[in-house]
Amino acid sequence: MTCPHLEYRDDDGRFDAPRAYCGAADQFVEAMRADVCNDRYDLDHATDCEIFRAHEADGGEATGDGPEGEES
Amino acid sequence: MTYADYLAGEPVILTAALTGGVHGKEANPNLPETPEEIGRAAAAAAEAGAAVVHVHAREDNGERSFATERFQAVDDAIREHADDVIIQHSTGGTGAPDDLRHQPLRTDPAPEMASLDMGPLNRYDHLTSENTRALVDSLHAEMVERGVKPELEVFNDGHLNEVHGLLERRDLADPVYATLICGPGTLTRPRPRNFLNLISNLPDGAAFNTLGFGRHQLPFATMGVLFGGHVRVGLEDNVYYEAGELAESNAQLVERVAGLAEELGRPVASPAEARELLGL
Repeated sequence: MTCPHLEYRDDDGRFDAPRAYCGAADQFVEAMRADVCNDRYDLDHATDCEIFRAHEADGGEATGDGPEGEES
Repeated sequence: MTYADYLAGEPVILTAALTGGVHGKEANPNLPETPEEIGRAAAAAAEAGAAVVHVHAREDNGERSFATERFQAVDDAIREHADDVIIQHSTGGTGAPDDLRHQPLRTDPAPEMASLDMGPLNRYDHLTSENTRALVDSLHAEMVERGVKPELEVFNDGHLNEVHGLLERRDLADPVYATLICGPGTLTRPRPRNFLNLISNLPDGAAFNTLGFGRHQLPFATMGVLFGGHVRVGLEDNVYYEAGELAESNAQLVERVAGLAEELGRPVASPAEARELLGL
């Protein structure tokens, strides 16, 4: 099951293809995080996503992070 | 590789990390994602001085792909626009199963080079890219089988132990080529003394590539040139040209460091020179 906060948006044509958007963090998400949102492979948004967990715990307040690029 | 190599004016190999698999157009709209965009970016980066392009594959919506077919599409597009640049595939992939990590090695032809992450690194708050020794060995075995030169990615100084361990377990063709990575999180803390320490602990005869993430890209590129190493830049690792100003392209970042290397007295290696230096 994918994250209930996941949407796909093209941002009124800003992107050629609709992209993963986090309704909890209110921002488009990074490619790697989109795999978590979609529960791909062995990833699970309920356990692996701090945004989801914080949102569930705090009833709404959560933020994403900026690009770190810690993978190559 | 040492300061003596700098004094001797040895050529510097520039690698352009064009797209990555972490952030995308949501961070910088100029970051190439589709095969055609990556192909054109490779050509522009090569024109600016890159001898090597480090690539990941993505779906059309920017999400990660590990499929051989998608890497093939990327390579075909690169070859359409830049027929001589050295193609280096990523085999990285936080959260991806080990079998998918092999997929980028199976294009036709195989890439001339591929990354080999030397150990674990944390991602976000709840993920770790494990990069077990078993996976490192199996990826290396397939690289040997397919004639792919490994680029050993050293995210912190513990990973240098892993490089020495890999050399004890397996035969690596000369020269051993390691990318020394400095930045936030699990990476080596980005300080000059730490970078020098990494260099001094490399295996004898190893060549190194220099990678500073984010704001550290330019200063570490400069140090890499001065300390006799090679240099990697690109939008995968840094989306800004300077503080608050997004980079216009990968080529813009390559052009800056190419000019810097030339100004400091090290010529920029052509793909042919890079092949000779790396033993490809």
